Amino acid sequence: MTSTISLTIDGQPVEAPADATVLQAAEAAGITIPTLCHHPNLTPPAVCRLCVVEWEGRRTLQPACVTQVAADAVIHTRSPRVDLARRTILEMLATTVDLSDAPELRAMLAEYDAHPERFGEDLTRREHEVIIDNSFFVRDYDKCVLCWRCVEACGTDMEHAFALGFSGRGFETSIATFFENPMPETTCVFCGNCVGVCPTGALKDRRVFELEMATDY
Amino acid sequence: MTSPQTLALTPHQEQALQTLLRRYQGGGQSALLPLLHDIQAITGWVDEPTARAVAHTLGIPEIEVHNVLEFYTLFYNRPVGKHVIRVCNDLACMLAGHEAIIRALADHLGVPEQGGTSADGRFTLELHPCLGHCELAPFLMLDEEPMGPVSPDQIPDLLGGVS
Amino acid sequence: MSYEPVLTARIGKIDPASLTDYEAHGGFQALIRAVELGPGRVVALMEEATLLGRGGAAFPAGIKWRAVHQAEGPKFVVANADESEPGTFKDRVLMEGDPYALIEAVILAGFATAADKGFIYVRGEYARAYQRLRHAIARCYEAGYLGRDILGSGFEFHIELRRGAGAYICGEETALFESIEGKRGYPRLKPPFPTQAGLFGRPTLINNVETLINALHIVLRGPAWFNSIGPAHSPGPKLYPLSGRVQRPGLVEAPMGITLRELIEEHGGGVSGSGEFRVALVGGAAGAFLGPDHLNTPLDFRSLASIGAALGSGAVIVFDTSVDMKPILQRIADFFAHESCGKCYPCQLGTMRQRDIIARMVAGQGRPGDLQLLRDIGQTMRDTSICGLGQTASNAILSAFELKLT
Ligand SMILES: Cc1cc2nc3c(=O)[nH]c(=O)nc-3n(C[C@H](O)[C@H](O)[C@H](O)COP(=O)(O)O)c2cc1C
Ligand code: SF4
Ligand code: FES
Ligand code: FES
Repeated sequence: MTSTISLTIDGQPVEAPADATVLQAAEAAGITIPTLCHHPNLTPPAVCRLCVVEWEGRRTLQPACVTQVAADAVIHTRSPRVDLARRTILEMLATTVDLSDAPELRAMLAEYDAHPERFGEDLTRREHEVIIDNSFFVRDYDKCVLCWRCVEACGTDMEHAFALGFSGRGFETSIATFFENPMPETTCVFCGNCVGVCPTGALKDRRVFELEMATDY
Repeated sequence: MTSPQTLALTPHQEQALQTLLRRYQGGGQSALLPLLHDIQAITGWVDEPTARAVAHTLGIPEIEVHNVLEFYTLFYNRPVGKHVIRVCNDLACMLAGHEAIIRALADHLGVPEQGGTSADGRFTLELHPCLGHCELAPFLMLDEEPMGPVSPDQIPDLLGGVS
Repeated sequence: MSYEPVLTARIGKIDPASLTDYEAHGGFQALIRAVELGPGRVVALMEEATLLGRGGAAFPAGIKWRAVHQAEGPKFVVANADESEPGTFKDRVLMEGDPYALIEAVILAGFATAADKGFIYVRGEYARAYQRLRHAIARCYEAGYLGRDILGSGFEFHIELRRGAGAYICGEETALFESIEGKRGYPRLKPPFPTQAGLFGRPTLINNVETLINALHIVLRGPAWFNSIGPAHSPGPKLYPLSGRVQRPGLVEAPMGITLRELIEEHGGGVSGSGEFRVALVGGAAGAFLGPDHLNTPLDFRSLASIGAALGSGAVIVFDTSVDMKPILQRIADFFAHESCGKCYPCQLGTMRQRDIIARMVAGQGRPGDLQLLRDIGQTMRDTSICGLGQTASNAILSAFELKLT
């Protein structure tokens, strides 16, 4: 049994188990915090930072998905600082990758009044060819937001196949196989877990992909 | 990074590589960077079969070797010149006229000023973030040899002196 | 005001390869003293000295030493010798000129914290420092300073020398642990902190090279001596790597808190180029530009923090009035875009957008809202990045606009 503590979220008194995350405590109180990289069955990589909240007295904003609650904390899930951070991250993301297959992210852009066009046009983007190298799924990394979910699902969190990893670093990072070999030449077992966790349509069932292509044209 | 090339090793290098791999047998992931450094000291870069052998030697997934090769700028998973010249293109060296050094090197090697490998495969020119020798600006490293301050007219001698 | 260098005293006077030379110049006296005092007393001395970490974050060393001293083993000591902050070359000069001192300091830290093993993580590009340390470690094993029963104390300790491989981020302490563990240099989420769960998940003391070297002198001369140098809030000897447009660039050792003017005039022989000071970049690319108004500001942690700047590594790059600052800003933006590890979105995306926007401004194609964009990106990186790289990646650039340098 973990003890229960009291804190304040958005002016509302909240009780939460001492080992809960801010995200869990807020959800239990009916307060929604946006998330992207977080997935209930995977280790939270805490990379997207869209879930950040303002915690009075702490220097930086705190990622709600991994930050543990503390007694008497005063937390704001919406504030000018929080909104600016979420909006800016969303704008930068939308000018980097193709979010056409990510309706939840597009809704978030609207909610935070994001205007990617204010960044102008002459921007570095991440562009990749669609990779169709097996009969099960397609990899369209133009749509990849680098949430790490597929890598985790392929590795220690689910399948232990270790077919997926990273090429490059920084902005130029991409999800890749060993020496960028075609999927059938890797340790991939075609479990489909990566496709299941991908939030943006970057990994897609091949039949779905072909159906969409057929209806597009 | 699709490069189908593989290493062409002399029997002597091949033997040295095998000895190295035996020495690291079962070393685990923590031995990955030291092993890659030691391999590159023999081969210059790491090709796909060698990367596979590294994974098997250490007992780690192949993808971990790829992840690391791709992250660190001193590791190469594609061919690189026999000698690597890293010219500092950071602040103190900019203030000391690094441009003339880069131009002289690029001219001499017949490679673009952003860097590249000479046609004979002997030299790779790279522009590098601050090399930590700012008091000796403009500064470069020829393989592991620190040099600075260098002047453009030293470049021909400097390259000529290398085997 | 005359100051006798301490940290760099042996450099240039001894043969860096020779253990006997090191011993003849006071080498290993601090370790001998530490063994006499015992671990608890050594940690107490470190707490009494107000030694703020010289790697940039200015965290009190004594607190870390105490925490690791008290933690359950196995535990580790790590010397952060990854030095990659632009303009910074102090740790290189220490390691090349006096390699045994770093080794002695790591052994001393291991003894004080009852650690099992020490690691020295040297920047990959520092081939000479690496070779000298490698030789010195081998000599220390031969002479019994490393291995079993060091100096008859019953203490066993080993040091493993590691090389980085070209990644600025690996100077960040948790990314450095990942690198030693054979992974990409991705910083970890904190908490847990290194003293709780660091290298291989074990309690770890990680200190900068200069911090560790200071520990030798604190043990030998006492905390009162240390605290009497420089300002009381951040005392001690300090290394200032000085470069750019000065007559005599080089590594300066001075009491903490000398002014920019003293550094440039007395140690650097004055401004070169046009001869007229324009601005200095203090703390490297992660630092901030200081204009003529701040020539008399003491270069210490607190004084610089109070004006919104930071001492960081202590690096000072000087620019005279003839320098075109546009390519300088472009270079700083390029640096961060190149060195961001890419783990968290604000830094992965923000460093590239910052670079894109600076590029068009430098090319004379800036858009009306560009400065506001840079500010929004900067605040987002500072507020939400996982580590110090993203948190500081906009400082220098925003400070340049404050000073209207372009
Ligand atoms: C991007 C980044 C790079 C860093 N690089 C270094 C470095 O090269 N050397 C160093 O000692 N500390 C560096 N640090 C600071 C370390 O994370 C850590 O604070 C330091 O090693 C602690 O030692 P100290 O308390 O003795 O300063 C860096 C931090 C960041 C965020
Ligand atoms: S492919 Fe999909 S799951 Fe994998 S990192 Fe990209 S967006 Fe995330
Ligand atoms: S959901 Fe918390 S950082 Fe991505
Ligand atoms: S700027 Fe060139 S070595 Fe530091």
